[in-house]
Amino acid sequence: MMRTLIRGFAVALVLAGFLFNGTVPDSIATLLAQGQPKQQEVFTPIDQLPPQEQLPAAPLLVGAYAFVLLMLFGYLFIVSRRLTVIQQEVDRLDRDTKRT
Amino acid sequence: MPKWFSPAVLVCGAMFALSPLVIANAPYESTMGLVQKVFYYHMPSAWVFLTASVVCGIASARFLATGNARHDRTALAAAEMAVLFGLLTLVTGPLWARKAWGQWWIWDARITSSLVGWMIAWAYLILRQYGGPGSEKLAAGLALFGMANVPFIYVSVNYWRTIHPATTVVPKLPFSMGFPLMFCLASFYLLMFLLMKLRVRVAEQQARLDAIYLSLDEEA
Repeated sequence: MMRTLIRGFAVALVLAGFLFNGTVPDSIATLLAQGQPKQQEVFTPIDQLPPQEQLPAAPLLVGAYAFVLLMLFGYLFIVSRRLTVIQQEVDRLDRDTKRT
Repeated sequence: MPKWFSPAVLVCGAMFALSPLVIANAPYESTMGLVQKVFYYHMPSAWVFLTASVVCGIASARFLATGNARHDRTALAAAEMAVLFGLLTLVTGPLWARKAWGQWWIWDARITSSLVGWMIAWAYLILRQYGGPGSEKLAAGLALFGMANVPFIYVSVNYWRTIHPATTVVPKLPFSMGFPLMFCLASFYLLMFLLMKLRVRVAEQQARLDAIYLSLDEEA
């Protein structure tokens, strides 16, 4: 009985020492902060975020690639068509001049 | 067109078809994430734009020196490449910047000088189209200014304060990001070469057509 009382007193002294030094709460807080994500203190609507954090990246990326490919194919089509038209005109004139 | 042209077009088409797969395998950049992948089309477009401006300038200088129409046709084709790839650069850049910087456009030295270079290429084509007889020599003079602007565009990020990435980024790229970039760069340069060849051919045929009409007029 006496031994149990002494042990309990010793444990109480150690705990009181930790509490007054503040080492136990600090260590626990640090461990908790490392182990789990930061506690959310406020809910922020998305439209209040900086502009670069509101935007999804995929539409911008797809838009950029689509624009590049469309422009390249468009230019290729225009130049090929011009070449075909001019080539036909040259061939027609060549035939006409040979006939006359 | 020469015999190698069609196989080269097929190779170029295959490279462009493969490029999304190659880019998809590149890792995400740590701060910008997915949107940074615009880089793999943006930077090759910019390099082709600058190269085309230099080619246009050199061909124009040779045309002014020799009067050979072949150099003039090369300069004209290169100017069209500069306008086309400059447009791609100036459109893909803001699409990337909107997410990465939070702004479509900033007036820093790199972007502003690129815009000036692109407008010089446009001015060259407008002068050729509407300048009347002798405009090819005036346009050739303009192309020299376009070429002089190129080194300024390249080094501007190292000398003026900007959030544009520095020129040290590309040499320091790891293989996983450097390979897709080099693959896209090769695709864009091959495409530029083929498009220029096609455009020069159009100009040659147009000159032939004009000569035929001229001879017919003289006969009549």
